[in-house]
Amino acid sequence: MSSMLETLGQLPFASLLHQREGTLTRELLQQPGGFGLGQVPDRLLPNGTTTMVCGYCSTGCGLKIHLKDGEAVNLSAATSYPVNMGMACPKGWEALSVMDAPDRAKTPLLRNSAGRLEPVSWDVAMQQYVQRLRAIQDRHGPHSVAFISTGQMPTEEMAFLGALAKFGMGMRHGDGNTRQCMATSVVAYKQAFGFDAPPYTYADFEESDVLVFAGANPCIAHPIMWERVMRNRRSPEIVVIDPRMTETAMYASQHLAIKPKSDQPLFYGVAKLLIDRGWIDEAFIAASTEGFEDFARFVADYDLSRVVLETGLRPEQIERFAETIHERDRTSFWWTMGVNQSYQGVRTAQALINLALITNNIGRPGTGANSITGQCNAMGSRLFSNTTNLLGGHDFANPQHRQKIAGILHIDEQKIPTENSWAYNEIMEGILRDKIKALWIICTNTAHSWINQNHAREVLDRLDFLVVQDIYHTTETATMADLVLPAAGWGEKEGTFINSERRIGVTRKVRKAPGQALSDFNIFKLIAHSWGCGEMFARWSSPAAVFEILKELSRGTPCDFTGARDYSWIAQQGGVQWPCPTGMESPAQERRLFEDGRFFHANGKAKLLFEESRPMPEQPNGEFPFILLTGRGSASQWHTQTRTSKSAVLRKLYPEHLFVEVNPNDARSLGVVHNEWITVESRRGNLRAMALLTPAVQRGQVFIPMHYEATNRLTDAVFDPYSKQPSYKCCAVKLVRGENESHHTPW
Amino acid sequence: MSDATLTTRPLTLDDLMEGFGSSKSSSETPAFLRELLQEQQELSAVDQFVCDVESHPGPEQARYYSKLLPATPPGPGQQLAFEVNLDNCSGCKACVTACHSLNGLDESETWRDVGLLIGGTETLPVMQHVTAACHHCLEPACMIACPVNAYEKSPITGIVQHYDDQCFGCQYCTLACPYDVPKYHSAKGIVRKCDMCSNRMSQGEAPACVQACPHEAIAIRVVDVARVRENAEADPFLPAAPEPYLTFPTTTYKTKRTFPRNLLPADYYSISPQHPHWPLIVMLVLTQLSVGAFAIGSLMDEFLSPELMTTLRPLHATAALVLGLLALGASTLHLGRPLYAFRGILGLRHSWLSREILAFGIFAALAIVFAGICWLTSVPGWLTPAWSSRLSASLPGLGWTVSAVGGIGVFCSVMIYVFTKRELWNLDRTLMRFGLTTVQLGIATTWLTLWFAGAVLPQDKVALLFAEIARPLAIAVLAATVSKLAYDAALLRHLATYRNSPLKRSARLIVGVLRPFAFARVATAIVGGVIIPLLFLAESTVPESMTWPATVGICLMWLGCVTGELMERYLFFAAVSSARMPGGVRP
Repeated sequence: MSSMLETLGQLPFASLLHQREGTLTRELLQQPGGFGLGQVPDRLLPNGTTTMVCGYCSTGCGLKIHLKDGEAVNLSAATSYPVNMGMACPKGWEALSVMDAPDRAKTPLLRNSAGRLEPVSWDVAMQQYVQRLRAIQDRHGPHSVAFISTGQMPTEEMAFLGALAKFGMGMRHGDGNTRQCMATSVVAYKQAFGFDAPPYTYADFEESDVLVFAGANPCIAHPIMWERVMRNRRSPEIVVIDPRMTETAMYASQHLAIKPKSDQPLFYGVAKLLIDRGWIDEAFIAASTEGFEDFARFVADYDLSRVVLETGLRPEQIERFAETIHERDRTSFWWTMGVNQSYQGVRTAQALINLALITNNIGRPGTGANSITGQCNAMGSRLFSNTTNLLGGHDFANPQHRQKIAGILHIDEQKIPTENSWAYNEIMEGILRDKIKALWIICTNTAHSWINQNHAREVLDRLDFLVVQDIYHTTETATMADLVLPAAGWGEKEGTFINSERRIGVTRKVRKAPGQALSDFNIFKLIAHSWGCGEMFARWSSPAAVFEILKELSRGTPCDFTGARDYSWIAQQGGVQWPCPTGMESPAQERRLFEDGRFFHANGKAKLLFEESRPMPEQPNGEFPFILLTGRGSASQWHTQTRTSKSAVLRKLYPEHLFVEVNPNDARSLGVVHNEWITVESRRGNLRAMALLTPAVQRGQVFIPMHYEATNRLTDAVFDPYSKQPSYKCCAVKLVRGENESHHTPW
Repeated sequence: MSDATLTTRPLTLDDLMEGFGSSKSSSETPAFLRELLQEQQELSAVDQFVCDVESHPGPEQARYYSKLLPATPPGPGQQLAFEVNLDNCSGCKACVTACHSLNGLDESETWRDVGLLIGGTETLPVMQHVTAACHHCLEPACMIACPVNAYEKSPITGIVQHYDDQCFGCQYCTLACPYDVPKYHSAKGIVRKCDMCSNRMSQGEAPACVQACPHEAIAIRVVDVARVRENAEADPFLPAAPEPYLTFPTTTYKTKRTFPRNLLPADYYSISPQHPHWPLIVMLVLTQLSVGAFAIGSLMDEFLSPELMTTLRPLHATAALVLGLLALGASTLHLGRPLYAFRGILGLRHSWLSREILAFGIFAALAIVFAGICWLTSVPGWLTPAWSSRLSASLPGLGWTVSAVGGIGVFCSVMIYVFTKRELWNLDRTLMRFGLTTVQLGIATTWLTLWFAGAVLPQDKVALLFAEIARPLAIAVLAATVSKLAYDAALLRHLATYRNSPLKRSARLIVGVLRPFAFARVATAIVGGVIIPLLFLAESTVPESMTWPATVGICLMWLGCVTGELMERYLFFAAVSSARMPGGVRP
């Protein structure tokens, strides 16, 4: 039988019967890719590669772009980039595909008399832009036009925007969406260290004995930083402080599931334990800090019983935490939005900084009080957005600073405002108080992401003129705009990002922007030209030219990177961390700050800052008995999903529908069953979500991921008094069953 | 917004370049704008930044993955397998995207998936992400099911390879694999799946997912075939995953953690309708109808006078044949590449689908012969009397043969679904469903034949015919329909089960999102199979001749029964719940 089959197999028609190769098989054919790549798809075979920084989060991974005749056809993680070491998260892997979305903005769009957005030429768009903004400024004063920028654009564009808006167009107020993520860390660092200076390098993840994660879920939010934690060979103790059992908490040797917003008393209580037991470094405290006496007196009130009561932890958990810091040589403290997005975030972050300072866990390998940044260029924005800080970490209110900047930029000093900008929330309030009449939103999605969303949209509706500059014309904010300016995105323009560990990395133009879309840089050039202030920006001809200006602005400051020669040099170094002053020929790939125990305050000392902790502003009560926690949903989702929802693969990797995590015991008492669609309601709004019953959330708490449009209908607009950062993480809600039954059709 | 003056016509290139109207400030703008637009289309100069020249001959990533590959190739009694360290799987899902990009898959195509397990107590909650691709099973259900031998399991590496050009897109493997691994491409008309990057592996390079896991959670290891079989007996493979003895998956999920006993997939309580496969619905219902009709025809041969049968037979055989051929035609619509339908019987030795194709092929051929002879013998003068009587004598036997071969075909249909090991599709249930459909629609179609007969035969013959069989046929269709409905309804008892068992999920779907279909199924069956037969049985309305109400009644009965069964088969596909790997959060 088998020999007969073999004979048949030799016959010419046999391939019709059994075809092992052909056109379909060839579709998946692979070839050695060259350029250090392995096998790659034949149809995507590159004839060049380049490494550039990813444009999503602040990890700042190097992505190896596969080029065919200079144009990106595919990408993979860069093997030897010192950040990510050959790995990338799903967002990075899919970074190119989201640029091909059909809803890319391809021409300017102007709201017509019928109220609809319709395509217009750039020329018309610029006429409208200039005429209407000028008219508003003439009528209501120059301050009546403001801008909201981003942490997603290259530093060069960020600086151009800030300089153009404030020095060229006379605006007074501008802020970035970084207010929503990093403002707390900025203020905490500036007050404590004298400069906004995250002290760490990613090697610290690998070199710690104890890693403390407060309000951080790097497994999901920063998967590649978690890669570095997993490479730690020192059998580290991992302490996770989070009310919820997160992916990161699963890896914790100590998961401190505190009551929401009791982190600050916890840290004060631990400080008291450390001080009482003499587990502090008195020599370091004396040499490098100030305010210790006051701090010690202050935390005396935070005795164990009080902290137990406020945090809901057992006393031995708190003691164990303190013992762990004492027993092991190197403790690093890491925080993200759980700390930053709080009504008392600055002091909470400083409570962590204080723990690092009094135990001398700073400036040594595997230590530090380390804020993990959010967006890819939040750090660039912090230094160069020209919003609350004058360019390069300077101060608008300081005449010497204004003089210095005017000199470097060759502009009239009078053009530089003498006051700081309003923060994001103050700009929104300004609209309500009729002080701001026109808003220019660049590369962010206010109508989705701003706290207390229903109200935020009403605020935007009150504007006389709303300009939105984005790569998609479908974002919730762009659909509200009077004028949409189509921008080129990541991969379609050049520039630099600064990541969490202060590493400057380069992005390249490896794709052609669709239609008439222009890079934000080119849009700013066009606006400068149309506004009539093109002369002022004559030297701002290209991102590379602006990078030279930025270097000058940084000269002599803690973030001095005048030694960073040019884009190619930076790329060859695998990115370069600031400081990199002139003369630094080959900077080490991983460098941390404060190794000499000197900080940036004039006296070289760090300040121990503290304040009485306060309870949650909106306490649960009989009517709204649950505390709503919000946070990152999955590694394949990014912020308001304007990009990540454009990849068919990423869409498969996150839950399509809004869901709310509910503790099974709470569900039982409410009669809520698995996968039931319920209404979650706060004093400000409501949404419908599918109930996911999980003990990962504690009783009396629910969790909703922030990526879904409806989430911010619930959140409460409360702000940190110092950083003005919104407190997204906690508000009171109730769960309602059975209204508007629509058990399988969500929003 | 006062822009009524603004031109509102479609844009032209001129507009974009030259601008609208005349504005003071725009006199020099166009040139500047043109420059910017042009600059935007220029890419970063290649020579300026291509830092990786041909200095790296091999894959640089090898430095990370070399330890994740086996040191030696598999020996006899061994094969390659994925090993997943669950303790390292943090749920980032980079593996899925890397597989997608490095294998050049289509826009939404993924060969790997990451699910989530949730459980534990309030003091010790647990969440565990689980990455999974093809398990390269010892007894791959995909391969056994495949009617065209598009799958091969390498005797050396054990990799289960799919030959895309051999596939004709029947999608049976997508039903057969308990792990939902083979993925159908409607645009290409074929299935594709993970082949453990066998091309990469043959060059000593790790599969894309292994290369891309930031936490080194996925490795390739050599496993002993005997060990895989032993483990399948005792080891749960992975909590809440399909039982390993079904196909003997070779992936090892290892962990140092102790999982709580209540660990369940995040999608455990999600119920969503499955793909209904319309061509298969039509094919199954109509083949069963056809087989049933032939069988009832043969039964009538036993009881009715030869004279009546001679006139009735060709009509009945034709009706059964036409609907049967329609069914077989419909089945080819289900193929992604129907041109290659001829490959369908290559898997005869292992695939119930091949067997079904063969059985129905023979059935159709025999049925054509049978129907032809029926016609030849029914018209006097077409054949010599000797031939006519000889052929007439062979008809009852041939008729039973057609029915028997058809019956084998229906049994093969049953086994196709039984093989998938889904509870709703087990032997008892599927046999009962398909069997009752065969009987019920066979009878209903006989009524259709009666209507044809009434239209073409002389009135005296019609009266005779109706007097003899109308009542028993009405009782039969009533009994068959009631039995079928009762049997279907019995599934709903699983709603009372405490556990969210597969049958409970099916029942919940039927009373939930599939309720409109369930309602239509019951309503049409009651009209066609209960009300009309009852009317016919009532003394006054028994059809004695082909009156107008009788015509309407018979048509309604047939349409009602057939529609009811089509809806029943829709529910059969849409409400099935299969064992699967843990998935993500979904409704």
